[in-house]
Amino acid sequence: MLVLSRRLGESVVIGDDIVVTVLEVRGDVVRIGVDAPREVQVRRQELLAEVAESNRAAASPDPEAVAGLSELVGEPRAPREDDQR
Amino acid sequence: MTSTATPLFPAQAAATELPVLDMVQPLLGFPEHRRFALTRLDEIGMFCELRSLEQADLRFVVVPPAMFFPDYAPEIDDDLSETLGVRDASDLVVLSLVTLGQTPQEATANLLAPVLVNHRNRRAAQVLLADLDLPLRAPLTGR
Repeated sequence: MLVLSRRLGESVVIGDDIVVTVLEVRGDVVRIGVDAPREVQVRRQELLAEVAESNRAAASPDPEAVAGLSELVGEPRAPREDDQR
Repeated sequence: MTSTATPLFPAQAAATELPVLDMVQPLLGFPEHRRFALTRLDEIGMFCELRSLEQADLRFVVVPPAMFFPDYAPEIDDDLSETLGVRDASDLVVLSLVTLGQTPQEATANLLAPVLVNHRNRRAAQVLLADLDLPLRAPLTGR
């Protein structure tokens, strides 16, 4: 891994068009800004790990549990206000 | 865009037809699995199954989220539309991965990272949506 020291307001450039800038340093929290082309997805690593973990939890469920889902067919629940939370 | 509120396969669709999806943006954690067969698990095509063609015992239960979450309307960007070859919003089918619990009532749907399918060319992608307030584990039932 390449390790660089940067001061507040300084940047590193990755490739031709990705710029990562240190915006603020407060205690152990560092705010960084990322300028990247639209097609480059910038994600927090722990979020990707969380989705991958959720995928693994969803993978290859017990066939009996799958059969039990038929109980839910035909009775979708009423929408709740906190659906999008 | 808005998601379809109808079952994935209309009743008149041939039950013998097994659409094979090309996962152009793979499921997170499963980068090597690109081809999945999509089959329905019940008569009305509410719950469906994605089965890996690379590894037969890898399966996922999916559901069109609009059936349980009528207000859910995932937004995708132009780059993804291009990746999937989408020409019109009606090309897209939204599927949510279902995680089963101890009982059917504990089943949850992943609304944060749905699988989007272009049903015209069978290209599919799991997409981490920009709206981080969307739940990763939304209960399918209120009980």
